[in-house]
Amino acid sequence: MTLAGISFAYLRSRPLAVALNLLLLALGVATITVLMLSTAQLEERMGRDARGIDLVAGAKGSPMQLVLSAVFHLDAPTGNIPLAEAKALAKQRVVKKAIPLALGDSYRGFRIVGSSHDYPAHYGARVAEGRLWSAPMEATLGAEVATRTRLAPGAKFAGAHGLGEGGEEHESEPYQVVGVLAPTGTVLDRLVLTSIESVWEVHEHGAPAGAAREITALLIQYASPLAAATLPRMVNATSSLQAASPAYESARLFRMIGVGVDLLRALGAILMLAAGLSVFIALWNALEERRYDLAVMRMLGATPGRLMRLMLLEGCALAFAGGIAGIALGHVLTEALGVALRQTQQTAVTGWAWNWNEAWLLAASLAVGAIAALVPALRAYRSDVAPVLAEG
Amino acid sequence: MLSLKRVRHRYGGREALSVEEFHAAPGEHWLVLGPSGCGKTTLLHILAGLLRPTEGEVEVGGQSLAVLSGAALDRWRGRTLGIVPQKLHLLASLSLLQNLQLAQFLAGAPVDDRRAREVLAQVQLGERGGARPAELSHGEAQRAAVARAAVNRPQVLIADEPTSNLDDANCERALELLQTQARECGATLVVATHDRRARVRFAHVLELAR
Repeated sequence: MTLAGISFAYLRSRPLAVALNLLLLALGVATITVLMLSTAQLEERMGRDARGIDLVAGAKGSPMQLVLSAVFHLDAPTGNIPLAEAKALAKQRVVKKAIPLALGDSYRGFRIVGSSHDYPAHYGARVAEGRLWSAPMEATLGAEVATRTRLAPGAKFAGAHGLGEGGEEHESEPYQVVGVLAPTGTVLDRLVLTSIESVWEVHEHGAPAGAAREITALLIQYASPLAAATLPRMVNATSSLQAASPAYESARLFRMIGVGVDLLRALGAILMLAAGLSVFIALWNALEERRYDLAVMRMLGATPGRLMRLMLLEGCALAFAGGIAGIALGHVLTEALGVALRQTQQTAVTGWAWNWNEAWLLAASLAVGAIAALVPALRAYRSDVAPVLAEG
Repeated sequence: MLSLKRVRHRYGGREALSVEEFHAAPGEHWLVLGPSGCGKTTLLHILAGLLRPTEGEVEVGGQSLAVLSGAALDRWRGRTLGIVPQKLHLLASLSLLQNLQLAQFLAGAPVDDRRAREVLAQVQLGERGGARPAELSHGEAQRAAVARAAVNRPQVLIADEPTSNLDDANCERALELLQTQARECGATLVVATHDRRARVRFAHVLELAR
C-alpha cells in the first residue's frame, strides 16, 4: 500500500474515463512525435546530401528546382548546359572541386547519373562489390538500388528515358553492372552511377561528331569562403548558367514546408491541451464522487498535503502513461510512413530512431497532467472533513 | 483518557453542543445518548479533532487538541483513534484487505498484512479480504468498518450510530463487536446513538438533550 498504489486502484476503478484520457493524450503526443521524427530525419538527410556542396551550377530556371534535381535528385532538371562553359567555370581559381553530372535516364525509378569518380568520393563511398565504372556503358549501383533491383555485377539492364518509371527504354544500349557501393546513408544509395560518356552515348544516336557536348549540372566546392561573395554573382551575370546555393535553397524549402509542419504541430498541441482538459474534468468529477473517500482518508490520518499529492500523482501517472503511449505510437506511425515512402524510391524515414526532443515531449505531457490535476488537488487540500462525514 | 471541559460548539449563531464536563478513564465504555440533532456527531468530531469547538478544552490521552496544528492533528488522529462513521464509508475502489492496509498506511504504521488479516478474522471476515465493499451485505460492511477502526490498535474507538437500521439481534451483535474489539485493543470506547436499546450494555452514559 503506497500512494501510487492508491492512485492506481482509483485509475483502475474507472477504466473508461482513463482510456479516453490516455487516447487523447497519446494522439496529441503521437502527432508531434511523427512530425519531430520525420522533419529531424529529413533535415539530417538533406544536410548529409548537401554537405560540402557550396554551389550548384546548371541551366537557368528555378534555383530550388536546380538544387532539388542536382543535389537531392528529387525534381526534374532545369535543362542542360554546354560542357565548354561548365569546364570554364570549373577552372576558376576559387573553385576547389567541381563534379559534373549528366542526368536524363532512370532504371526502375532509380536515376542513372553520369559523373566522375569524384562524385562517390565526395560522399566517402566505398565499393562493396566489384569496382567503379571505367569504360562507357559500365555502371556502379548505389546500395539500395542493388538491394531493390537484385542486380549484381555482371548483370545487364536497359535504362529508360526520363526520371520516372515507364519511360521509353534504350534497349539497344544496355548498361553492364560492374560494381555495387556500400551504403552511405546519402542520396548516393539510390543512384545508378556511370560515366558521362555513357549518357552521351545513349542520347546522341546519330548526332554529328564534335557537336557541342552538354552536361546537366556542376556541383561546386569553394576553395575559400570568400568565393561565396563573388562566384554566384559572376556565374549568374556572365554566363548562360545559373548558380544556386543548396544551403540557402533547402532553408527556403524548410521555411515553406514549415508552415504545414507548424500547423500540424499546433494540432498536436491542441490535442494535448484537450487531453489536459479531459484529465482535469475527469479528476474534477472524480473529486465530486470521492469527497467521502477523501474525508475518510483524512479521518484515517491522511494530512491534506498527502491528499493533494494523491491527486497530483494520479494526474501525472495518467499523463506519463499517455505520453509514453503517444511516443510509442508516434514511432510506429513514422515507421509506417517510412515503409509507404520506400515504395516510391524516395528519401525514407524510419520509426526506429530516437530524438532527444522526445524527452521534452514527455516532460510536456507530465506538465499537462500536473496542471490539470492541480485545481482538483488544491480542492482536495482545502476540503473540510467534518461536514462531509456528518452528512446523513 | 478523555476529557471535555466547558465545551460549546456553535454553527453560525446556533448552539449545537454544550458539555460542561466529561471524563472517561482508559478502557471505559461510554454511550453518548440523545435524540437526533442533540450534537452527538458534533461531540464525536470534536473528540476526533475533526472539528475545533467554538470554546472549551479537549484532551485525549493527555494530549490537548487545541495545541495541535492541522497536519499534526491528522497524524495524531491516525495513530490514536479508530473511527466507525455512521455511513461506514469503506473505499469502493479498494478490496476489504486494502481498506485495512490503507488505514495502517495513512496512520503512518507499517503495513502489516498479518495484523490486517487477524482483525478481519476476528470480525468473521477472514475469507472475504479480497472482496470489494460493494459485494458485502450491510452487516458485513459494518464489521469491516469496525475492523478498519481497530486495525491500528487505537487508544480510543469511536462509533457513530452503529445500530441504526438494525433489528434487535443485529443491534446486539454490533455493540458486542465494538465492545469486544475495544477490549481487545485496550481502547476507550465511545458510542454515540439515539437508540435506547443500547443503554443496557453500557455502564457509563452521557445523555445529551436537544
